[in-house]
Amino acid sequence: MTQSRHDWPSLVASRSDAPAPPRASAARIGVGGPVGSGKTALIEALIPALHRRGVDLAVVTNDLVTKEDAERLRRSGLIAPERVLAVEAGACPHTVIREDPTLNMAAGDDLEAAFPGLELVIFESGGDNLASTFSLDLVDWWIFVIDVAGGDDIPRKKGPGVLKSDLLVVNKTDLAPHVGVDLPRMLAEADAVRGGRPVVATNARSGAGVEDVADAIAHAVLFRE
Amino acid sequence: MIGDLLAIWQADTAFPSGAFAFSNGLEGLAALERGLPADRLEVVIEGALRRRWATADRVALLGAYARAGDMDAVAVIDREVEATTLCEAFRTGSRRNGAGLLAAHARIGTPGAAALQALVRSGDTPGHLAVAQGVVWRGAGLERDGAVLASGYIVASGFATAAVRLGLVGAVAAQAVVRRLLPVVAELAATDPPERIESFAPLLDIAAARHARGELRLFSN
Ligand SMILES: Nc1nc2c(ncn2[C@@H]2O[C@H](COP(=O)(O)OP(=O)(O)OP(=O)(O)O)[C@@H](O)[C@H]2O)c(=O)[nH]1
Ligand SMILES: [Mg+2]
Repeated sequence: MTQSRHDWPSLVASRSDAPAPPRASAARIGVGGPVGSGKTALIEALIPALHRRGVDLAVVTNDLVTKEDAERLRRSGLIAPERVLAVEAGACPHTVIREDPTLNMAAGDDLEAAFPGLELVIFESGGDNLASTFSLDLVDWWIFVIDVAGGDDIPRKKGPGVLKSDLLVVNKTDLAPHVGVDLPRMLAEADAVRGGRPVVATNARSGAGVEDVADAIAHAVLFRE
Repeated sequence: MIGDLLAIWQADTAFPSGAFAFSNGLEGLAALERGLPADRLEVVIEGALRRRWATADRVALLGAYARAGDMDAVAVIDREVEATTLCEAFRTGSRRNGAGLLAAHARIGTPGAAALQALVRSGDTPGHLAVAQGVVWRGAGLERDGAVLASGYIVASGFATAAVRLGLVGAVAAQAVVRRLLPVVAELAATDPPERIESFAPLLDIAAARHARGELRLFSN
């Protein structure tokens, strides 16, 4: 009854004496953002860009109700299909990356066990809203992807994803003229609300801006220039 | 008091273990029966408690709790769970949920978690949820009775939460169902467990098997 918090019973002999495993050795990054903003398209564009930098990588997708994104990546020919795992999120895209990231953590562990030498695991969040953020239990660094078609007022709305992400990607720049968005102003407002943290504009279809995102990843979590 | 608190800590859905992603057959059943009113929901959960939790999960949990210091004995129980869980969707779900619980406890440094996780990762044992609970809850200092109550509560509240997300009942009505089932959990927890794992919940098995083939679904099983 007076057990102190340090006085856990050492009931499990021999093997439990091993210390808790060190923090995962592959870097883990998150890609989150609203439904349809281009998260999967960005990952598809990033895979070859990262491969060219010699990065050994794998992907975990958190689809909402299907395994569509995982299947799309597996069929893309960009990455070995067994390097893509799907974690079904029980209709809770934010829970599985924040309140309870354990299924994703375990999927990352499985990939690391299966591919020795793995350097990077990319977690794609299921499409969510502007409030979604990644738990630092799960990732070391994360990207939030919004798109110009979602409206140029998104940065002004200051959602936690826009404010707290390590890198904000503004995607679908090609659509700006078609949806009446003043792109330079949208980017300036994004810069203003993020207090100096980076913002990159991309067109995941043409690949514009994707090298900058790959550089940011390599620099932030892989310690490469 | 610490024993009670430790059980509450582990029964709390705020403790991350991946459990939220599993409906344990409920989603499939709701699809089969075109809905599931609250009174029917209560019958289904009670059936799962009586014929699966009390006679299978609880038995594995108690076995693993008693032998938590002997990983070879734990692996034997784990393989028995694997062999007696007929429905593939439940086997996979239980292993993934077990891996989730182990991931959290290994990170926290709960005694036994890293050892069992290493064994699971090397493919030596499947790592079912009830077995993982037995090992890490013993390591975390839960008492035997508290561990049994936490596991039974998690089953009842897990079904109720899944029912809310499936739109079968409201969040408040679901807790009325949980309240009515608490005496069932308490009653079952006090009974002597069978010697070996037995499970007979064919309706949920069939529902989960059909669900596994479905394309559109919220839950993993
Ligand atoms: N024009 C244009 N279309 C894009 C761009 N990036 C993505 N798309 C298109 O936008 C749609 C959604 O892209 P996805 O990559 O599936 O978006 P997502 O964020 O992964 O979507 P969810 O995972 O469902 O939330 C697809 O039709 C893409 O082809 C872009 O830069 N420009
Ligand atoms: Mg996607």
